[in-house]
Amino acid sequence: MGPARRRARIARGLEFFGMTAPALIAILLFVEIPFLMSVTFSFTKWNGLDKAVKFIGLANYRELLMSDPAAGHAMIFTLLFTVLTVVSTNVISLLFAVILDARIRGRNVLRAAFYIPNIISLIIIGYAWRFIFSRGFDSFSALTHMRIFQLSWLGDSRLAFFSVAMVSVWQSIGFYMVIYIAGLQTVPREQLEAAVIDGTGPVDRFFRITLPLIMPSVTVAVFYSLSNALKTFDVIFSLTFGGPGTATTSIALDIYKTAFSDSRFGYGTAKSVVLFLLIFAVTVFQLSAFKRREVES
Amino acid sequence: MKRPRGSLVLSLVMFACAVIYLYPLILVVINSMKSFSEIMTNVVALPSRLSGANFVNAFTLMSYPNLFLNTLLVTFIGTTGVVLLASTAGYKLSRTRSRYSWIMFLLCVAPMMIPFQSFMIALVKVARTLHVTKTIWGLGIIYWGLGVPLSLFMYHGFVKTVPRELDDCAFIDGCRPLRAFFQVIFPLLQPVTVSVIVINAMWMWNDFLLPLLILSGAKKSMTLQLAAYNFFGQYKIEWQNAMAGVLLTITPAIIFYLVLQRHIIKGMVAGAVKG
Amino acid sequence: MKRSLFAAALIVLCAALLTGQGKTLNLFFYSPELTDQYNDMAREYKAETGVTLDITVNQADYVTLLRAKLNSGDIPDVFMSSAYADNTTYKDYVYDLTNADFIKMLEAGALNGVTVNGRITGYPFLVQSHSFIYNKKVFSAAGISALPRTIREYESAAQKLQAKGIQPFATGFKEWWVLPQTAWQVLAPIKDSFGGDYANFVDKLNSRDLKFKDIKEMSTVFDVLDLIKKYGGPKPMESDFNDQCSLLATGAAGIIHQGNWAEDSILKTAPDAKIGFLLGPVGSAAGKAGIMFDSNQTIRVAKDGPNVQAALAWLRWLTTSDYGKKWIPDKIKQLSPIKGAKASSAQLAQATVGLLAAKTPSYSWYYQRFPTGLEQGLGIILQGYCAGQTDRQQTLDALDAEYTKIVNASK
Repeated sequence: MGPARRRARIARGLEFFGMTAPALIAILLFVEIPFLMSVTFSFTKWNGLDKAVKFIGLANYRELLMSDPAAGHAMIFTLLFTVLTVVSTNVISLLFAVILDARIRGRNVLRAAFYIPNIISLIIIGYAWRFIFSRGFDSFSALTHMRIFQLSWLGDSRLAFFSVAMVSVWQSIGFYMVIYIAGLQTVPREQLEAAVIDGTGPVDRFFRITLPLIMPSVTVAVFYSLSNALKTFDVIFSLTFGGPGTATTSIALDIYKTAFSDSRFGYGTAKSVVLFLLIFAVTVFQLSAFKRREVES
Repeated sequence: MKRPRGSLVLSLVMFACAVIYLYPLILVVINSMKSFSEIMTNVVALPSRLSGANFVNAFTLMSYPNLFLNTLLVTFIGTTGVVLLASTAGYKLSRTRSRYSWIMFLLCVAPMMIPFQSFMIALVKVARTLHVTKTIWGLGIIYWGLGVPLSLFMYHGFVKTVPRELDDCAFIDGCRPLRAFFQVIFPLLQPVTVSVIVINAMWMWNDFLLPLLILSGAKKSMTLQLAAYNFFGQYKIEWQNAMAGVLLTITPAIIFYLVLQRHIIKGMVAGAVKG
Repeated sequence: MKRSLFAAALIVLCAALLTGQGKTLNLFFYSPELTDQYNDMAREYKAETGVTLDITVNQADYVTLLRAKLNSGDIPDVFMSSAYADNTTYKDYVYDLTNADFIKMLEAGALNGVTVNGRITGYPFLVQSHSFIYNKKVFSAAGISALPRTIREYESAAQKLQAKGIQPFATGFKEWWVLPQTAWQVLAPIKDSFGGDYANFVDKLNSRDLKFKDIKEMSTVFDVLDLIKKYGGPKPMESDFNDQCSLLATGAAGIIHQGNWAEDSILKTAPDAKIGFLLGPVGSAAGKAGIMFDSNQTIRVAKDGPNVQAALAWLRWLTTSDYGKKWIPDKIKQLSPIKGAKASSAQLAQATVGLLAAKTPSYSWYYQRFPTGLEQGLGIILQGYCAGQTDRQQTLDALDAEYTKIVNASK
């Protein structure tokens, strides 16, 4: 290889490194290194405060896999919750994005309206919804005498699952709408107009032209909603704190309780490592499947 | 093209949905004008009289002007950093087809899979070592690390809609790659950039946990959300101030979102022309 | 002229530095409902001594934040915690106050919770009481003249309230912390079976020689929880602290289980509300019904903090100065741990003082002796029982499993 080509290769390498390193450094410093530091605690018995830390090898992992029924319940809850919310959120946000992409009146205001729940602080969302489910529904049932308002949506172990899922979807729709709207902008209008002239119906137009072209958005949205659903914490924390009892405890909430209220920091970190591995497995699988279907323009 | 017929009906249906959808927010607005006693007695009732007293109260208690600027600064630093870092890295990783590129991509995107609670205490330790705690700048910089993953992912996918030929055109001119990127490619990524700005700015403006961990104790550097949370105790919630405080906090964000919406439309037009 | 002015300024500055003027103490507290009182006290302290108290108040994430601070080396001079089991949790971080001069001026009873092997690990902040609280007007409207003390009396009172269209109880069962304070009060006389000493009782639990399923009095605990739920309105599992305060204040509910800290919220909702304490039922023995009375909220000095002496000076001022002695009774309107402090004029504080004077049984908050972390864990299990997820036997087994797990984790 001649010196000129070597220089060109080095130049390209530097260019690659120069453009990607800043992002990677920020991520390493503020997420990955702290995470690895925490992972070392998963091999210890530590309450998060004592100055002395006791190394216990894989004992935490053994306990998690063999003798922790609460963690098992949390896992089942989280998986069911994830399936329900990821599907609902993506379908509804995509639907709203398509509707709000069309030239209808007041589109801007509507987009803002649906986004608002995503930015109200979760403490307020928790209190507002708790109030609506208990006293609000009491008033509605007095007015309409409909059975649905007499049920205890947050107090009944089985209904609470749906209430929490519903509030979670309600809160996220605006966010994923933004991603889908961005994707819809990249669909060339001429293709759609040509299809209208051809006589293709709106549903067909969507599935044959729009959807394939917005696969990058779908990939991002599904990936993010999938990992968020598996990590669900905030909504449940403010709405039910995992209750009644442990009926709505997700894996992330279980980790929080283990680390901060049981004071078992080492064990809690082991649980988060396992959660990370679970999310990693699920999302990498999803990523590869979806990326293959992305169409390059 | 004329507006299709059904659009008025659709518009009305969506507005009705929006009103029901925002019922919790309506409750917050109603209650922000009531006194503590009125709120505790009946949450759904309309206020006996429209009073701005709570807003004045919250405004003062929260040191609003000062904290507004703090929050604005953090959001600006964080969002700008994320846009710059994520766009350049996302673009480069998307265009480079190699095993290293894919591995780096996974490394950059992996944080999206890590639950925040699992590393937040170690993050505080690292932040202290790097001397980025207790300052607005420090908080902004930490947000770069937390915000880049999703944004980079978005840029990575959207770069595919920009034809590769344009890359070569830009470089042929002899421009340095970075300038070529920002002058030619970046403008074409406007829809994504707007979304990235919206997502990151909204999140950073309203974030609570990270500012709590990083800024705690630095009274002058607090953000609006931290001040609003002070109204919530275990045994006593200053409802009237909390509701007003929440509205004071999210209103600038909503205005920002509405203003930015117009840019999405402009971006759409530009995209159609380029096609 | 200028030079002597400059010299004078320099001297004053040195004097200020030497006497600790302009010093700042870092305090990390919870209970944001007391923020006004904290700030008032800080203003007074600064006026009297020139020392600035920089008080950070936080509730929701207090424990997380404190841990992050202690772990990263950002140690506050003074922080807050519970008593009893927290003495062990923070043992590596607290300054030993045993030899501090002002400790003698505190009530011996208040110091119980912070004493470990004869050493004083913290400064008792508030003395509090909890039990069932009732709305006096509602009770008289329902014709209840004799205050209930046994389970049967409570049931009949509840029926009278219900007959008048009043929801007898606002359960508070949505909060995991309401269930323990309610449940453990029913179990309070258990010390009689252990030589009158809770330490003995908890030691046996800790060594796992004694399990909840062996304690026959637990069935009374379940009976009381069942009773509250039965008469707790249409959605008993959705009632939270706000629900309790607002319903009691407006007279929509007759009885709640809470402590004197709830008075502020209740009176702010309905300033003319008249409330008092009911004695907690322990079964059919009326004579053993009482209130839970103890000092649990504790101030701790960090032994690695940068300003230990200044922190001690502040505590001394809090205990001995005029303002300090009046701070808790007059401003915070609760009970003070300082010997000879006057009683607050607050209704529940007065009720407590009256009951104690009448030699009503008052039990310490013995459940705070359970290893740290159990309060929430056990509370959530009891919540599951009330929600119908487990029956009595399963609940007892779950309580035992949780206890064993935490005990093993701290070995």
